This record gives sequence, C-alpha cells and structure tokens, in this order.
Amino acid sequence: MQKFGWVKLLLYLILIGYAIATFIPFAWALSASFKTLPEISSGNINFIPKDFTLENYKNIFTQEPLFGRWLFNSVFVAVCVTALNLLFNSMAGYALARIRFPGNQLFFFVILAVLMIPGQITLIPSYLILKNLGWLNSYQGLIVPTAVNATFIFMMRQFFVNFPKELEEAAAMDGLNRWETFVQIVLPLAKPALAAQAIFIFMGAWNNFLTPLLILSDKEMFTLPLGLNTFKGEYISYWNYIMAASMVLTLPALAIYAFFNRYFIQSVTFTGGK
Amino acid sequence: MICTRVKWLIFLLVIITLTSCTFARGNNSKITVTLSGWQSSPNESQLLRRVLQDFEAEHPDIKVKYEVINQQYMDVIKTRLIGDTAPYVFYLDAFEAPLLMQNNVLEPLNTYINDEFDLSDFIPTLLNAFKSNNKIFGLPKDFSTLALFYNQQAFEAAKLTQPPATWTELQQYSQKLTRDWNGDRRIDQYGLGIIPELSRQSFLIKTFGGTLINQNGYATFATPEGLKGLQLIVDLYRKYRTAAQPSDVGASTGSEMFGQGKAAMVIEGSWAIPYLKETFPKLKFATAELPTIAGKKGTMAYTVAYVMNKRTKYKDAAWKLIAFLTSKKGMKAWANQGLVLPSRQSVIAELGYDQNPLYAPFVAGADYATIWQAGETLPTVLTHFNNQFISALIGEQSLNEAMERAQVSANKEIAASQ
Amino acid sequence: MRRVWQRGRFGEGLAGFSFMAPTMIVMGVFTVLPIAYAIFLSFHKVRILGEFDLRFIGGRNFWRMLADERVWIALQNTFEYVVIVVPTQTILALGLALILNSSIRGKHWFRIIFFLPTVTASAVLTLIFMWIYNSNGLLNNILAGFGLPTYNWIGDPSVALKSIMIMNIWSTAPLYMIVYLAALQDIPKSLYEAAKIDGASALDQFFNITLPFLKPVTFFIVVIGIIGTFQLFDQSYIFSAGSGGPNNSTLTVVLLIYQYAFKSLDMGYAAALALMLAAVIMLVTVIQRTIFKEEKLH
Repeated sequence: MQKFGWVKLLLYLILIGYAIATFIPFAWALSASFKTLPEISSGNINFIPKDFTLENYKNIFTQEPLFGRWLFNSVFVAVCVTALNLLFNSMAGYALARIRFPGNQLFFFVILAVLMIPGQITLIPSYLILKNLGWLNSYQGLIVPTAVNATFIFMMRQFFVNFPKELEEAAAMDGLNRWETFVQIVLPLAKPALAAQAIFIFMGAWNNFLTPLLILSDKEMFTLPLGLNTFKGEYISYWNYIMAASMVLTLPALAIYAFFNRYFIQSVTFTGGK
Repeated sequence: MICTRVKWLIFLLVIITLTSCTFARGNNSKITVTLSGWQSSPNESQLLRRVLQDFEAEHPDIKVKYEVINQQYMDVIKTRLIGDTAPYVFYLDAFEAPLLMQNNVLEPLNTYINDEFDLSDFIPTLLNAFKSNNKIFGLPKDFSTLALFYNQQAFEAAKLTQPPATWTELQQYSQKLTRDWNGDRRIDQYGLGIIPELSRQSFLIKTFGGTLINQNGYATFATPEGLKGLQLIVDLYRKYRTAAQPSDVGASTGSEMFGQGKAAMVIEGSWAIPYLKETFPKLKFATAELPTIAGKKGTMAYTVAYVMNKRTKYKDAAWKLIAFLTSKKGMKAWANQGLVLPSRQSVIAELGYDQNPLYAPFVAGADYATIWQAGETLPTVLTHFNNQFISALIGEQSLNEAMERAQVSANKEIAASQ
Repeated sequence: MRRVWQRGRFGEGLAGFSFMAPTMIVMGVFTVLPIAYAIFLSFHKVRILGEFDLRFIGGRNFWRMLADERVWIALQNTFEYVVIVVPTQTILALGLALILNSSIRGKHWFRIIFFLPTVTASAVLTLIFMWIYNSNGLLNNILAGFGLPTYNWIGDPSVALKSIMIMNIWSTAPLYMIVYLAALQDIPKSLYEAAKIDGASALDQFFNITLPFLKPVTFFIVVIGIIGTFQLFDQSYIFSAGSGGPNNSTLTVVLLIYQYAFKSLDMGYAAALALMLAAVIMLVTVIQRTIFKEEKLH
C-alpha cells in the first residue's frame, strides 16, 4: 500500500510539473493582455501587471466598427466547416475501414499521398481554381475547399477499423442499409472520435490565417485572425492589443475543447458483442 | 431521429452556402480603384484613410478601396498578380522592384507625368530605384536611412558627451558602455546592438571597395575588400564582445533592445523614433550620423514606391490616385507622423525634418546612402548571406570561410535557375 | 452471418462510392487538381509572373536536386528532427492520455491546462519562446540556478534545431494526447473485466489489451507525426527569419520549397522538391509500417 502511495505522489509531481510548463506561457500572455504597451515592452518578467488596465480589451472591441462582422464571419465559417467535416470525414473514413468496394485501397493510398505533398506548392494553383470559380471574397471559398480533410479521414478510418463487427452484422440482420447503419449505429458509438475531430477541425478553421489572407480582400469578409492582425505594423506593433486579441481568439477554442472533453470520460463504452 | 437532424443540417448548410453566393455587392456608376499596402504602424493606415477621403472629395467619380495586407505582403501580391486579381495601385519595396520590373507586370508611368508634377523634386537616388530602361515604374512615397541611436543616460553614466564620430571611437565607446550591473558575470548592457542581416550591412561591403552583386547578377562580396567592412561588425561581436543581437537578449528588434536598455547604442532607421517615444516614454535618446569608416561616410537607405499594375482597368483613375498621394500636398498630409521621411526634398524642408535634431542625421544620410536594392537575384544572395554571416558572427567559422561558402552556394543557385 | 452484407458486390460498391462522394469531389477539385498541376510544372521551366511561359525540360529539375547541396542538408536536418520528435511526442502523448484516463484527481483541470499550448496563438508562442530561450532568459536562469551549463538556444546552430524540437513537442503532444484519449474510450470494458478474472496484472492488461487496441490509432499518430515533422516550416522560418541559418542548421525542405516558390518564383523546381519530399515521406512511412506491422483491412 505504501509503495502505491509513492507511485501516486510521483505521478502527481510529473503532472504538476508538466502543467506548469504548459501553463506559464499562457499565463504570461494572459497577464500581458492587461498590461500597457510600455510595460510589455520593458522586458521585465512580472506576472502581475503593474498598471492593470482593461483598455486593451475595450479598444479591440470598440476601435474597429467591423469587429462584430468579423466575429460573425469566423463563427459562421468555423461552424460550417466543422459540421461538414464531421459528416464527410466520418463517411469517408467509414467507407475506407468497413466497406469493401473497388478502389478502396487506392483511395486510402491517395488520401495518404495527398497529405505528403506540402501545401506551399499547391497554394497558387488552389488560388487560381478559386478565382476561376469566382469564389474569392466569399464564404464558399473559405468553406468548401476545407469541407473535407485527409488527416481526419485517415483518423476516422483508424478508429472504425477497431469497431466490433458484430454490431453492424446485427444491424444488417435488422434490415438496416449501410447509410442507416452508419447514422443510427456507428456514429453514436464514435462520439469520442467525433469529439476529437470537432476540436481539431474547429481550431483549424478558427485560427486559419493563410487562406483567408490570400483570398479575402474585402474588409467585410475578414475573419477574426485577419482582422485582429491590423494591430501589427512593420515597425510599431501594439503588443498590448495583440495579446488581448489573442486571448479573445483563444477563449472560444478553449470553450469548444472543454465542451467536447466530456466525451472522453469512460462511460459511453459499449460492451462489444453479446 | 438523428437521421432527419443530419439531413436538416445538410439542407441548411446548402441553403446558406448558396445564398452567400448571391451576396449583394455595391453597384453604382463610380469607378473603384483598388489600393494595397502594408502598414508601418497601426496608425498609418488610419492616417492614409483620411488622405484617401480627401482624394475622393476632390475626385467625386472615383472611389478608393484600400486594403492593408499585413503579413507576407509580397507573397500575397505575387499570388494575386499571377491570378490577375492584384490591386491597381500598390506599395512596392525597392528591394523587390527589379523582379516585378523585369517580369513586365508594372505600368510605366513616364507618359502620365507632367511638368506640374515636378519630378525633379524627388531625391534622385530614390527615384532611380524604380527606373529600368529609362522607364519609371514607381514613384517613391517615402524613405529612411540608418543612423546611430544612443542612450543619453547610458552615455552620461559612462562620462561620454558626444556620439562617436569614427568607427574607432565607436569601438572604444562600446567597450565603455558594455556593463554588467549586478555582477553575475553576464552582461546587462551591451555597447552596440547589431542586426546581422545583409539589408543592414551591405553598405559595409562597399566601404573598402567591395561589391555585392555584379552586372550578371552573381554575388561578388567575398573579396578581401568586401570582407574588410564586415569584419568590423564581427570584431565587435567576437573580439571585443561589446555588441549583441536582439535575440541574444530576448528582444525581437534592435529598437526594442535599445529601448529596454540592453544596448546603449543601436543602428536603426527613423521608424524607431516614434516607436521609442511611444513605447519607452522614459527613455532619453539622441541620434547621430553613422560614424565614418576610414574617413568615409556611409549608410543604408530603404524606399517604398507606389506602382501601378499593368492590368489595371482604369489607368487614368489609378494614375490620379498615385499623383495625388505623391504630390507635394498629398505627401505632406501623411508624412508628418515621423516614421519615415518624405521622398520629396521640398516636403522634407517644409515639414522641417532637416532642422529637427532627431531627424537631421537621417536626412543627411540620403546623400551618401547605399540603396537597398541590387537586381533580381538579391533575394537569393540575401538568403545565403544571412544564413552564413550569423555563423561567422558566432564564431563557428571565420568570416572569410563563411562568406566564401555563402557566395559559392548563392552563385550555384543563380546559375542553376537561369 | 457475413453473408447478410453480401447483397451483391454492386450494392457494396455503390455504398462505398456514395460514402466517398463528397470527399472525392472536394478533394478532387481543391487538392488533387492543384497537385496534378504541380506535377506537371515539375517537368517544366516556368515563368509564372507576367506573361505565362512554359518550357518542357524533362527531368532536369530533378537532376538539379542531386547537385543541390542545400537539399541534402535540409533532408538531413529534417531526418534528425523526425527521428527525435516523432517517438518523443508519441510516447509523451500516450503517457499523458493514460494518466488522464485513469481515476486521478483533478484530471479535468489537467486536461485543460495541458491543452493550453495548442490554443495559444503561434505569434504569441514565438514571442514567449524568444523570451524563454534568450541568453539571459528563463531557461538559462533556471539552468544556471542548478549550476548546469547554459546555451545560446537560438543563436547557436548546434542547439537551434533542438530548441525548435522542444517547442514543437511541447505544442503538438496535447493534440495527439486527445486522439489517444478518444481511442481509449472505445476499448470495451468487458475485456479488462475478463482479464481481471483471469488474474492478469495491470501491466499484462496494458500490453495485451490496451496497446494492441491502440495500434491503428498509433499508426495514424506516427504517420501524421512523420508528415508534420518532415513538413516543418513555421518555426524554422520564424527562428531564422527565413534564411535557414545559421549555417543551414535550421534549413528544412519546405523552407527551401517556400524560398523557391515565392521568393525566386521558380515554381518548376519548387514542385520537383515537393514531389521529392513526398516520395521520401512515403518511403519512411512504408519502412515504418513494415517495422510496426499494421492491422490488415477486414
């Protein structure tokens, strides 16, 4: 019993040590968002702001009349992208893992191969395609190209590979077709994987910077990361605003994470077979 | 249950996506001219927006759509030029100008310029940076040179009264100014802050008669003459250990390390003046021309121009905008924020920059400065130089070795790409 | 029982394709098409700005790579990076997930705190790391406090890549931790119960139930880790201001691709480099896969 106590203590020490390593940078950014510009730039490492100010937050919300619009754009795009990805990636992942159809292996190979080509080389061709579709400066230009994601198709496939076959076989005996089985049996059981996917996709869409930077030139269409970039300058940057803005950007992502975290608690486990 | 919910969700998404296609666009008889640039500071774009309002008031038939592209500016502009979606008028750094001039994507402005515009008022070296085959492809909007910033409090503490006039003095001063305040055997204040990049050092290559790039676009800096000037920087860093890079002391820029008191002197552009005033209100500093090396004056100059996209639909309207922004009146309206200097001599005089003790050294530098530009291959040469110069600086290899390596690999790449 | 599914090959094929349809359309247009274009460009000398100009030069872009010393340096850097980062982040992620999946107190808080690095904006992260890594920064102060040697974490080429490794492991491990956490939920509890009845120890259960079950997901994490590390770009770009220095120590293949594609607009060569990188990643994945045999489909 005593030995067990020591192990536990060591475990907690490791956890707390790692937690400190992950928390300090965030805490520093959080405290900086309440500091004045001179205090941030002074190079002092104090976690408690000397002149605590809410000005930074007030300013980023009020200085820019389009802030509300940018927030809407970001939320709209991120929610659409997340919803579409959850559905499409799971469908594709399921097909690759479970359905025996001609070209199954080939598709899987193509999806992996696509991931291996660095995005820097496809940036200009993709831009030209979007331009020819007339999708620059539009929601569909931001949403449709990212509506599926090879990484998470791959991930979903690996999850579905492990699923007990008995459940599907039972469903088939009940006369459900593939689509019904997928929606009624498979998806509800894949909640943890879907939750993980939702977190990643939402964060990716929420923080996406390069694509919006390229394809958006109307200020009304900007997403938050792009809009908040206006506090940066070549020679002078308002780091106090940038810190506050990055906190505002972080919170929704963190909230989504905290929300979906409840799917990672061991309770939804199925018993597998009869 | 779930099935219908999913179906509804898909239906909703499709509807939203389709309706957003037909998003209403403003439609009237006005001509819209697009303008893109980056911003030196967040205030700059606001100021420019006000100037653009004046322009629109003067030209009621033209509307200006101004977009700030704040990061990876040239990547975005190049992509949009390739996609034929680039703005009509945009900022162009002299450094990037040769590539665009060479590839024939800019509209020559000669035919638009009339006598009233007074082209001779522009500082000639700045204008030359945007000329190719006697065609003018851009009109400089502003410029900055490099000058020496020194911390007056630190100078007082070291009993120094005057800024160093020669490089030898600079060496001595930086020794006196390098201090360890708390005795932990780690230096808290360095004499000089340096930025080991070609964009800041290329005038040193010229000082003793070296050249950066020859006429065919090949790098030629790794000669004894070229290295002699660069050695001065390496000596400060390695031999005397009285200089530091921003990253050595946890700062991101030279002006930041200067403002934080981690360097008593720093070689920076005029943009640092408003930055320091705003960010470090308690700092007392002054500026001086760069110290002479072997009796010769030298510094760098950086300039940015307005250029016109060759595929512009409304060229006359685009020209009106450029002419307005680079006219005496237009330049004056927004060149008074003090980040960079106006490119017209008359505007410099009118705004009193040549009389202002903080700005005078920068104005003086314009006469002898090396423009940061050297043909189409400069981006390649720059990458290889920066890559190896730091290596020499931190003592991994001798300057000679490092620069030889940089030159060979740069030229190999240039030859391969021809 | 299998037979029930065999409503004919045709039905299965149709189902498969209809499940794949959205992916095929979207990826076909926005991913495969641009890649096909890049492959096409890699056999050409391209002038892409101004008047578009294309000249077929066969495999010359690929031969050029062989003589390009920097490509080899970049590959070597990237290899070193992959070999250290991928195993470290995978094991770290698995360890954290296992701990946080146990009935430990305050695990919800730990989960949130561990995730913070991934939600913090990268510009802010870089700033913070500059502050931690500089010669007089936090890390050196801590090391000096323990009487350990200090380093110039960013400026010194022999440690610059390692600084980037630490930063990368620290910020990506939480992502993989989540994948593992999700996968752990799917392990049928009945398996553990049965094992307990058979008198298997906790260690036995881990090696005989947990690990085999996590194999497909581990394959995913390792492959994505390999791809992600081979495609390292952001950090090396920021740390070296785009040059890959000092003395090529932070040069990566994607940094080279970026330099050619956007700085010198040499799209043909950039595309050839991208294909070479993809081939290398594929090769490493295949080798990895034969070493840690993956499950067979069906």
